[in-house]
Amino acid sequence: MVNATKGLFVSCDIPMAQFIINLNASLPASQKFIIHVLDNTHLFVQPHVADMIRNAIAEFREQNSYEKPTG
Amino acid sequence: MPQVKIIARNFMDMVAALPAMKLDQLYQNAFICEAILRSLPPLAKKYVIQMLFIEEAVTVKSMEEWVLPDGMSKHKVAIDRLLQLRIFSETFDRSSGTSYSLNPTFQSNLQKQITCGGVLPREPMPLTITNRLPSLEDLEAYALEQWECFLLQLINSAQAEKMTNISSSMMRIFQRGLLTQREKEPPRLTESGFQFLLMDTNAQLWYIIREYISNSEERDVDSADLISFLLELSFHATGEAYNMNTLTEVQRNTLKDLADLGLVKLQQGRKDSWFIPTKLATNLSVSLTDSSSRKEGFVVLETNFRMYAYSTSKLHCEILRLFSRIEYQLPNLIVGAITKESLYNAFENGITSEQIISFLQQNAHARVADRIPSVPENVTDQIRLWESDLNRVEMTPAHFYDEFPSRDVFEAACDFAREYGGLLWEDSKKMRLVVKTDVHMHMREHLRRQRQ
Repeated sequence: MVNATKGLFVSCDIPMAQFIINLNASLPASQKFIIHVLDNTHLFVQPHVADMIRNAIAEFREQNSYEKPTG
Repeated sequence: MPQVKIIARNFMDMVAALPAMKLDQLYQNAFICEAILRSLPPLAKKYVIQMLFIEEAVTVKSMEEWVLPDGMSKHKVAIDRLLQLRIFSETFDRSSGTSYSLNPTFQSNLQKQITCGGVLPREPMPLTITNRLPSLEDLEAYALEQWECFLLQLINSAQAEKMTNISSSMMRIFQRGLLTQREKEPPRLTESGFQFLLMDTNAQLWYIIREYISNSEERDVDSADLISFLLELSFHATGEAYNMNTLTEVQRNTLKDLADLGLVKLQQGRKDSWFIPTKLATNLSVSLTDSSSRKEGFVVLETNFRMYAYSTSKLHCEILRLFSRIEYQLPNLIVGAITKESLYNAFENGITSEQIISFLQQNAHARVADRIPSVPENVTDQIRLWESDLNRVEMTPAHFYDEFPSRDVFEAACDFAREYGGLLWEDSKKMRLVVKTDVHMHMREHLRRQRQ
């Protein structure tokens, strides 16, 4: 019998995929959100983590940018 | 400029949506016929001109022969538009089939327009009465000042130094859709508000006029009268004075509102009062076609991302502040830089990189406008890269299917999902499938049927 799982399909580039997998690995077992790693650019995750992933990416992006001090 | 065309077409859509009686009433004015002709798609214009002096109806079949086979879609678009505006009317004849004929009022008015030239219902007033008319530069400065004051007040009442006379209820109507008002917070620009600011002046004008007209019914003003007056106004000569006593009461009230927007200048003499249309008004009809009226650009962008805007206008400063970091303001110059943070700010507000780039290109200073490209490519590329950096990850709600009993069921499910456009990912080796959530219900039905 075919099995259907509900979730979120994530499509991104390879570095981002690795970042999300790393994020998943750093969380305690109860909070792990990746259901399947489909290939190196696609993931299938639990539906409620969309905002959390976006926030994590934004934080990562901000850590990598330099802002010239104003004043 | 395609943007202006889209907004102006929206205005024409509004005209096309008027009831049949009102449209026929509108066509009695020759200038409206000309304005509508200008706004038609090119193929439709050709058909109208071809049919202009033909008295009888032309069959649909012979019209289709005028077009090459790959032009059929454009042909359909043109014919639909003409039917929608009631310029073409269909007649059915048992012997010759369906045929099209031109609306007779429209036809006779346009014929007159072409052969005798347009005659406005009013003549410019002699200089003896009007004494000294403002020069064209004064007029343009006046129009610009009024328009900018209006825009500034529209987006942020605190910034405008001089309040226009437009009533606050009218302002609220214009602001609807452009500003959101939350309790206890100052009104904030919405996404369409930001895009509105970056649009070309003609596009902004058409938008405002459209709102004004759609609102006219609530004020007991007939929208057809208003549309005909506005289109007629756009055919007047800039800088000439026209007597107010040739206008009806309704038209006079409308003129007062238009003066606040900067479309006309009202003046009063000893006995008469008159109005002078400015460039803003006369440009309305010009902007119906695709011709672009290039105004003076003022922005110079350098390859080191620094921006120099030769402008004194507060409005320009506000617009530039939307996507760049303003560093200092000198008496005739605004100096700023385009930075990642300022752009992220803009993207968060819903502005796209294409809008920013086209704004910069359209407003490039005369000195750099002739250079190709007018905005340095490294800057435009970087703006696009920064935008795509924000969208590195795409997330779609979906369902994951595995444990298919056989390969045939798997293939069938794949094809099914593909037909509905919901197939996101498949793995044929392990027989796994990811399908969009909106297709999930159909997929379940399909699988249930497969099992039986």
